[in-house]
Amino acid sequence: MKITYGLGDRGTREVDVEAGTSIMRAAITNSVPGIVGECGGQAMCATCHVYVRDEHLDALPPISDDEEEMLDCTVAPRDERRSRLGCQLAAGVAFDEIVVDVPSAQV
Amino acid sequence: MTAAREAPVSEWVTIPDMYRDPFPIFQRMRAEAAVHWVPSVNRYMVVTYDECHTAEMDGETFSADETGSLMKRSMGHSMLRKDDPEHAPERAAWQPPLRPGAIKTVWREVFEANTERYLDRLADAGDAADLIWDFAAPLAAENLRSILGFVNATQEDLQRWSQTMIDATGNYADDPVVWEKGRRSSEEVDRAIDELLPYYAAHPDASLISGLVNMPGGERLPIEAIRANLKMTIGGGLNEPRDVIGTAAWALLENPDQLGRVLQDPALWPVAFDEAIRWIAPIGMYPRETTRDVELGGVRLPAGSRLGIVVLSANRDERVFEYAERFDIAREKKPHLAFGGGAHYCAGAWVAKSSVAQVALPRLFERFEGLEIDGDRETSAGGWVFRGMLKLPVTWQRERKGAAA
Repeated sequence: MKITYGLGDRGTREVDVEAGTSIMRAAITNSVPGIVGECGGQAMCATCHVYVRDEHLDALPPISDDEEEMLDCTVAPRDERRSRLGCQLAAGVAFDEIVVDVPSAQV
Repeated sequence: MTAAREAPVSEWVTIPDMYRDPFPIFQRMRAEAAVHWVPSVNRYMVVTYDECHTAEMDGETFSADETGSLMKRSMGHSMLRKDDPEHAPERAAWQPPLRPGAIKTVWREVFEANTERYLDRLADAGDAADLIWDFAAPLAAENLRSILGFVNATQEDLQRWSQTMIDATGNYADDPVVWEKGRRSSEEVDRAIDELLPYYAAHPDASLISGLVNMPGGERLPIEAIRANLKMTIGGGLNEPRDVIGTAAWALLENPDQLGRVLQDPALWPVAFDEAIRWIAPIGMYPRETTRDVELGGVRLPAGSRLGIVVLSANRDERVFEYAERFDIAREKKPHLAFGGGAHYCAGAWVAKSSVAQVALPRLFERFEGLEIDGDRETSAGGWVFRGMLKLPVTWQRERKGAAA
């Protein structure tokens, strides 16, 4: 399974992941820039905000109440369609392969 | 991987020196090694940003469940000293009233009312006014009392409980008087909780204790977990907002140009708050224990090593923050470690941002025009495990009553 992180003018980073690994955790483990994940995946800090590329949106699980609340607290503007928390999307559950764009700021 | 070395033994590091001014000590430690063995503290101290961050994001290797924890002895075994999965259900039970939605709909107006009340007290103190003891401390205690739902206690009770249980948690000298005071507070808290459980079953509201009594599905946490976690919250939810109010006010009063910019543009209050806790993290150090042999920052740590994660030092790591010793609201925004990270990320972070950055600090400077430090009285800061202002005497030129937006 694979996550591709779009890093704007810094290109992209591809990371191979095992089932159960979230977009946030994979970024931390592989030092992908631009994802902070302060709270370690509890939908509490809004610092693992990502924009999911359109072609992957339909397959994603719905946004929970906790995630919804945090998406209103992101530093980079929320995109009503594409914004998600990286900690709430795990390989093998939400996707097998996914492409996300990392926002310009998390804090 | 290069060969790991043994941690340098830093006998020159002493507790009284760190209490007075830890920053030059940490600066020298960071230059020498990421991890030191410090005999006076009887543990390894992790002082660099990357290594503190690594430890807090890896709870399997760096366990919060410390052997011989004095916190467990003084408060019981709270979630702060548990690892996942045991930690998770307690954390989940604590979180709902502390989230941004609840703050917006319930707590924000409570913070406003409490702040007005203690600004009045500061005004009444007149020539003897101290920003910490007449404002920051009682306000932080009152806000905590409101959120937790201790309707059968006063803010003064909360301050006494908090300080005596924290003192017991740090009672490495094994002073029997300190243990006794902590034990008495712990029993008072137990009695207050015993009264409140039936009360909130009959009178549910938005408070945290009410939420614990009326959990969805009708299940409750075990009473030992309720008690230990409430004591941890009393210990960990009072001094930190108190100290960031003090530190932020002190930093701004010492840097009038920066204060001027914030007063011009109130959107900068959250920036000033964040820079204040980056500059002087209210919780300076917290413990971890290794579960296996591991290398951290080039230093070999055997399984069972007791560590201190020194975020007070990590937040001044010059490899991450330029001119880290300066308070500078214009610095490049970067994540700091003052709220911790990973599973134990501060549950009260949103409460702090609202109660301090959006209410206490702006209202303080709106109410007192020409607020300044009173140079005729002593100003002092202290601490390294917890650090904050000990005395912050203030004067002002004019009071603007009812100036609050």
